[in-house]
Amino acid sequence: MGKENIPEAIVRFAPLDKLLGIGRANSLWPMTFGLACCAIEMMAAGAARFDLARFGAEVFRPSPRQCDVMIVAGTISKKMAPAVQTLYDQMPEPKWVIAMGNCAISGGPFSFKGQYGIVEGVDELFPVDIYIPGCPPRPEALIEGILELEEKITGNRRWPRVEA
Amino acid sequence: MIDLALSQNKEIFVLNLGPQHPATHGVLRVKLLMDGEYIVSAEPVLGYIHRMHEKMGENRTWAQFMPNTGRLDYLGALSYNHGYARVVERAAGIEVPERAEYLRVITVELNRIASHLLWFGAFVLDLGGFTPLLYAFDDREMILDLLESVTGARLTFCYFRFGGVYNDIDDNFVPGTRAFIKRLRKRMPEYHNLVTKNIIIIKRLRDVGPISAGMCRRYGATGPVARGSGINYDVRKNEPYSVYPEFDFDIPVYEDGDSMARYMVRMDEIEQSMRIVEQALDRLPDGPVMAEKVPKIIKPKPGDYYSVVEAARGTFGVRVVSDGTNTPYRLKLRSPTFSNLSLYGEAARGMLLADALALMGSLDLVIPEIDR
Amino acid sequence: MENLIAQFEAIPALAVKEADYPVRGYHLEVTVAPEAVVAAAEVMDVAGYTLEAITGIDWLGEEARRREAGVKARNAAAVKAAKEAEEEPPEPETADLSGITEEMEVVYDYTHYDHLFRVMVRCRVARDNPGLPSIHQVFAGADWHEKETHDFFGIVFSGNPDLVPFILPEDADYHPLLKDFST
Repeated sequence: MGKENIPEAIVRFAPLDKLLGIGRANSLWPMTFGLACCAIEMMAAGAARFDLARFGAEVFRPSPRQCDVMIVAGTISKKMAPAVQTLYDQMPEPKWVIAMGNCAISGGPFSFKGQYGIVEGVDELFPVDIYIPGCPPRPEALIEGILELEEKITGNRRWPRVEA
Repeated sequence: MIDLALSQNKEIFVLNLGPQHPATHGVLRVKLLMDGEYIVSAEPVLGYIHRMHEKMGENRTWAQFMPNTGRLDYLGALSYNHGYARVVERAAGIEVPERAEYLRVITVELNRIASHLLWFGAFVLDLGGFTPLLYAFDDREMILDLLESVTGARLTFCYFRFGGVYNDIDDNFVPGTRAFIKRLRKRMPEYHNLVTKNIIIIKRLRDVGPISAGMCRRYGATGPVARGSGINYDVRKNEPYSVYPEFDFDIPVYEDGDSMARYMVRMDEIEQSMRIVEQALDRLPDGPVMAEKVPKIIKPKPGDYYSVVEAARGTFGVRVVSDGTNTPYRLKLRSPTFSNLSLYGEAARGMLLADALALMGSLDLVIPEIDR
Repeated sequence: MENLIAQFEAIPALAVKEADYPVRGYHLEVTVAPEAVVAAAEVMDVAGYTLEAITGIDWLGEEARRREAGVKARNAAAVKAAKEAEEEPPEPETADLSGITEEMEVVYDYTHYDHLFRVMVRCRVARDNPGLPSIHQVFAGADWHEKETHDFFGIVFSGNPDLVPFILPEDADYHPLLKDFST
């Protein structure tokens, strides 16, 4: 059978998904969830100078049930890990995770031989979409991370990429 | 209030605040026993961001521990740099050139202003006012620009070295700092008009969360918490270090012991820090910023060494025990908020939950520094 | 200060020593027996001091290191003497490491709000069953410091109201700052 014999679809989900993706990508609601130093840069990203609102991601929600992106900003200790897992489980689908800073990526400076207290990277707990390196990453880096996430959701880059 | 809360015919229930709660400024957890809206007992639970700093101190060299100090209290990182640099300089007998001491004081005081500004924004946010946060961050970014030009970092500074600082200031730093101080002097009255004189703030803070001087002493509270309770204790005056004795500045002390007093202490300290920075800029001497003869490998003589500095949140002390090798044998970090928070259980008893959160905000908590 | 020294000596303290403040960062170093830490805290409380911190130090292997260092020095001296006398060097001595009681130490830092005087109270406890009385009745803030020291070193402060893992996870059964700790 040739390609030309496939009948046209009656219901088309792909365009709907695309449309929803554009909506989701342009109104990401992160969770107000600071763990350590990176949380201050996350606050700075949301505040006056960097103004995350320009990219539609400024509605920080204190409740995981109202969020669709979790920015893991800081070190996850073994004592905190169950709480972080619970927060992730409480978020409604679809949900995305940004690992902000070296601690959330790999344990960062607190990962050493014989360490007893931290989880070495949030991806040991649940899947991560975007990694933002830095100790702490600058607010610009967080904004770039959000733009990367938008690209992952829609498949298109909305803003021009800054060349180094 | 306590009688009401402890009456037998009321139903008492447990409320778990945190470890993820916007008002705890991080991952503090408080186990509350509630009678309606009143707190019967409050018990903070720590350790949700315990990052093994003291263990790390024992398995790396003296110099390698320096970046950790910037991650203890990330809002006032330079004070912590200073505290650790001072104890090692004391142990190894390293002299610091005068220009380096001046730069240390200037950057530490700028960092203190930044810390108090962030606290100001976040504290009013706890009370329900969002706008001051944006104003405070606006000013704070100016300081971070200045500090970034000197230290290379925005938040987790690692600027100090044993025997000085690693980098001299550039040409724009002095005029930039002066311009910033001029700007902040104009902004402070705006803050007072917007927040301090706001009737809602006054009602939320005045006579709320009283902490007595005796209570401060029993719990070892320091910093703005103690100074808000009428204790005139500031390490910069009581145990002068670095070049602080050369500057003319006051220690704001308020007698009331309520949340308003602690708020006012910090707001006044911003002005005093600006005075110190101005005087230091006027008198900034020329010369090297690093001592010439600093050994590459530091091996202090065996024994105990202790040193304290005044951080933005109170007395930060470092006790090191050296066994004569290039690694500390034991490194104890005495964090100010650990002691300041320990009085929370007693202070919050019988309070309304909303007021207890105002009290918690007025203690100015940085959780990674409590858990270490 | 003489007054304080006399009071500490009356506890009785094992040793009261003035320290070189510019080098050490504290003025008075008081060594007490475990039974006397409460009495020392009361002296500080009456004098209007405040508790800055409590911490522990693990001295695992300290005595063995000292004996070995002593033997090494004697051996070196013997070799040198033999060389000078142009004799055969004697058989090197080996250190006798028997009968060592391993110790831990608890350190209390006190300071005063009004005048500059820092007092450090130190107390040695046996390492295999470390315990000493709690001072939380004297200084309420000691409660948390004792819990932290218990977490890190396993030192038991008898009389502390709730000596459970505080900074470590609730089910922690390890004491990470012990020198023989490994994960």
